[in-house]
Amino acid sequence: MNPLGKKLSIILSLVVACCLPFLTNNYWLDVATLALFYIVLAQGLNVVVGFAGLLDLGYAAFFAVGAYTTGILMTVYQWSFWLTLPVSMAIAAVVGVIIGAPTLRLRSDYLAIVTLGFGEIIRILAINLDITGSASGIYGIPRPSIGSYMLAGQMDFYYLILIIAILAVLAVKRLGSSRIGRAWMYIREDEDAAEAMGINRIKMKLLAYSIGAVIGSLGGSVFAVKMSAIAPLSFSFTQSIMILLAVVLGGLGSIPGVVLGAVLVIALPELLRSVEDWRYLIFGVALVAMMLFRPQGLWPARYDTGKDSAHEADTLRTEGSDRDVQLDSEKCNA
Amino acid sequence: MKKWGSAIVATMLTLSLAVAGCANQGQSSGAADGNEILVGVLLPVTGNNATDGKDMQNAIEMAVKKVNDAGGVLGKKLKIEVADDGCDPQMATTAANKLVSQNVVAVVGGYCSGATLPSSGVFKNANIPLIVPAANSAKLPAQGYDTLFLINGLTPDQAQTAADYMAANQAKKVALVHDNSAYAKDLADFAKAAVEKSGGTVVAYEAINPEEKDFSALVTKLKGIGPDATYFTGYYAAGGLMVKQFKQKGVSGLFFVGDGSFSEDVIKIAGAENAEGLLITATPTAEFIEGAEAFTTEYKATYNNLAPGPFSALSYNAVNLLADAIKRANSTDPDAIKKAIKETKDFKALGQTISFNAQNTLDTSNFAVLKVAGGKFTLAK
Amino acid sequence: MDILVQTLADGLVIGAFYSLIALGYTMVFGIIKLLNFAHGDLYMLGAFVGYTLLSVVSGNGSGAGLMGIIVVLFLTMVIVGAIGMGIERVAYRPLLLAPRLSILITAIGVSLFLENGSMLFWGAQYQVYPLQLSHDGWEVFGAHITYTQIGLVIISALLMLGLHLFISRTLYGKAMRAIAHDQTACHLMGINVHKVIALTFFIGASLAAGAGTMAGAYYGTVNFMMGFIIGLKAFTAAVLGGIGSIPGAMLGGLLLGMMETAGTFLFGGSWKDVVAFSLLILILVLKPTGIMGEKVTERM
Repeated sequence: MNPLGKKLSIILSLVVACCLPFLTNNYWLDVATLALFYIVLAQGLNVVVGFAGLLDLGYAAFFAVGAYTTGILMTVYQWSFWLTLPVSMAIAAVVGVIIGAPTLRLRSDYLAIVTLGFGEIIRILAINLDITGSASGIYGIPRPSIGSYMLAGQMDFYYLILIIAILAVLAVKRLGSSRIGRAWMYIREDEDAAEAMGINRIKMKLLAYSIGAVIGSLGGSVFAVKMSAIAPLSFSFTQSIMILLAVVLGGLGSIPGVVLGAVLVIALPELLRSVEDWRYLIFGVALVAMMLFRPQGLWPARYDTGKDSAHEADTLRTEGSDRDVQLDSEKCNA
Repeated sequence: MKKWGSAIVATMLTLSLAVAGCANQGQSSGAADGNEILVGVLLPVTGNNATDGKDMQNAIEMAVKKVNDAGGVLGKKLKIEVADDGCDPQMATTAANKLVSQNVVAVVGGYCSGATLPSSGVFKNANIPLIVPAANSAKLPAQGYDTLFLINGLTPDQAQTAADYMAANQAKKVALVHDNSAYAKDLADFAKAAVEKSGGTVVAYEAINPEEKDFSALVTKLKGIGPDATYFTGYYAAGGLMVKQFKQKGVSGLFFVGDGSFSEDVIKIAGAENAEGLLITATPTAEFIEGAEAFTTEYKATYNNLAPGPFSALSYNAVNLLADAIKRANSTDPDAIKKAIKETKDFKALGQTISFNAQNTLDTSNFAVLKVAGGKFTLAK
Repeated sequence: MDILVQTLADGLVIGAFYSLIALGYTMVFGIIKLLNFAHGDLYMLGAFVGYTLLSVVSGNGSGAGLMGIIVVLFLTMVIVGAIGMGIERVAYRPLLLAPRLSILITAIGVSLFLENGSMLFWGAQYQVYPLQLSHDGWEVFGAHITYTQIGLVIISALLMLGLHLFISRTLYGKAMRAIAHDQTACHLMGINVHKVIALTFFIGASLAAGAGTMAGAYYGTVNFMMGFIIGLKAFTAAVLGGIGSIPGAMLGGLLLGMMETAGTFLFGGSWKDVVAFSLLILILVLKPTGIMGEKVTERM
């Protein structure tokens, strides 16, 4: 990919994203808003799964933390929306550490089940506690305002989440190419070697969890004011799986890939609405087919070592922690 | 280069799908031509609650056919556009927006309260009336939307009916079991308050996971407590299994279920001998009301001998109420329809007479206690 | 005392179902390191295939007889086992070389396909099993333990014993263990790896299907979403016992069944799953390989 084409395509997609509200009706605008939510969530998960290689099956928990923190602070304590943001992000970071800490010693498969368990626990807590409005959730969350302008229309929320999505993408991109990002990828590729090279494994893993959690909770906070009503139904295991789907479908660790994956995960079922009962069946078949033809994701990550002149050979190494399995089976089938 | 090419391919694929989708949508949205009135239907037709969603959709289609066969409304045919809310708040808002963008004049639907809370806001913003046949959380009318009408009885009334019957039968120690759905938990909470107010005590307040089938631990626990009455407030699939395991384990006392379990399937799942004596708090429909038996028969004939679900009759009523309101409004303007629905006075429907109070909920609730005798629902006295 | 015994008996039955499903998870994981998300749906498929076959066998409520039930159980296990093998061939085998997460996504796709396909084929409604199992039984310390419960536990135990013998005594079992240990070496030794993997899927799927049919008959209802939550629980059980370990899966299933019943008693039904998951996390933190898992350092 030449740098000019890359810049052009980014600018083009930004222009399209900005003009979208004027080109389409409310329904597609709502779908686009959801897709942007998923871009934020998927980028957050991308940090955990894509960069640090920690499989997380309970990511919706962070989404819930953000949504409920904002919902409760705004309805019970009448806080301003903007003030709830730092609080919910701080709480999410702490929850991230709490969930991350006991999992540090675990093998990756056990990690998956522990995160799944935490996700379920958070959801059941939301159902059972009074402060979270129990099973029917919190409703009547006020609209946020900027100065005297109240964000109420769909277009307002579209632009709000668009800004957040752009920020999330930029932040994750910067992180990925930073010293921290390289440390994560080193841990993902070879934990022992990383530690031997002086990378603090525990600190780095917890940092990945916390940053992922903060981004997820940010999405959740905006989700709460956009929906104005939240319920435990939104934070189910299926939600976690769909976010993971976006990440893997697009390409683990790949920023444009994850954006594409998020858009597809939201858009495909909507496009299939006309076939009613068949839509999730077709969606399932589409998933299988996509993976059969592009198992590394639609837009796999390439790890540049710095400058834009990519080492093509490096693309072979993107499979991360799966390499051992892969090599084994490669030999087997050779 | 290869990667770049595949990215282009992927983008093309997305775009072509989007175009296909738009074209498709263009076809269906414009479908309400001069001779049709487009009515939105918002139900969970996929996922965990698809069972009840489909029952309701069936009943709605039946009512629409009936209205159209009788000459339609204002000389036009009703046409429905179904959108799947999956009982999920986020899917529900999108589906609601889709219906709004297709210019429906009114919407019938809303099954899970959790999903109906946000979707009712979308219709409020678009000023489109929404008639809700099933969802009945007290939080819905509390939003104060003038476009939202609930034709299912409200939870507190149902809870009171149950508590009164328990008090009249000297059932002092009451166990409450819900299924973690918004509706069932609401009902259990109100029942707790009502029971305590009438001098009883709640000896157990429990929940089950409706996606599971084994409730033996809970049933054994209840057996150890020995309640005078147990009230299960959840939906029928788990309700039937609860009744069965309750009887087989031989727990003492009366067994009540709420209107979410008011379905012939409850008897079928529990087995007739276990369901004998089961008490149901519900708005009586099928066997007691004139015309309702015909409804059940016709429903079974149309849908492969399937029994109507707990909200089939109410969904059927919702369509008829809407058709009546459009006739009275003599217009398909949402404002006029909204006003006409609001002014509904003593509209005779299956098992209920509909008038609205200030909150746009039923003026009078007619919850009663039914009893299963000989494998059939009868009025309990 | 009676309540304790009753709880133990009930926990045993549900634990037996968990174990049968967990075995499939553990075998597949042991051999190709895949979390087969579609596995719970094979349990659901088993329940439905059993339902259809029983309806055919028993005609209109005349009852199927013990022989009929056993034949149906066997047939269901073979049919669903074959379906499981087919899924492996179409959806998983081409991806054995791919990154592990992409095969996980395929499994999610297969799961969606099976759930929604079953909904279209059998309908979204709850179907009532054409079979009423007797509720007679023995009184043991004041607890009522039915013959059905005893029968189910015995059948489950026999299936698990058969599996154990198969894996420990036969050549194929040896091949399975060997592949789980080192695929490359197996291939070099001339073992037909693909064939053994297919066989693993067959066994896993048929065990889940057996559990599905038995659960359908025991509880009386089936619907297309019934596999999801129990799949999740069985997965938990497999990890609890130590994923990849077959006795671990059996133990994990039984233990989870007991933990849930205990949780219901101590904290109430609403908190049951919280208790189960918290204990799971605690056990994993204290013993990160599960109860019977081997201590393996993740090699790179």
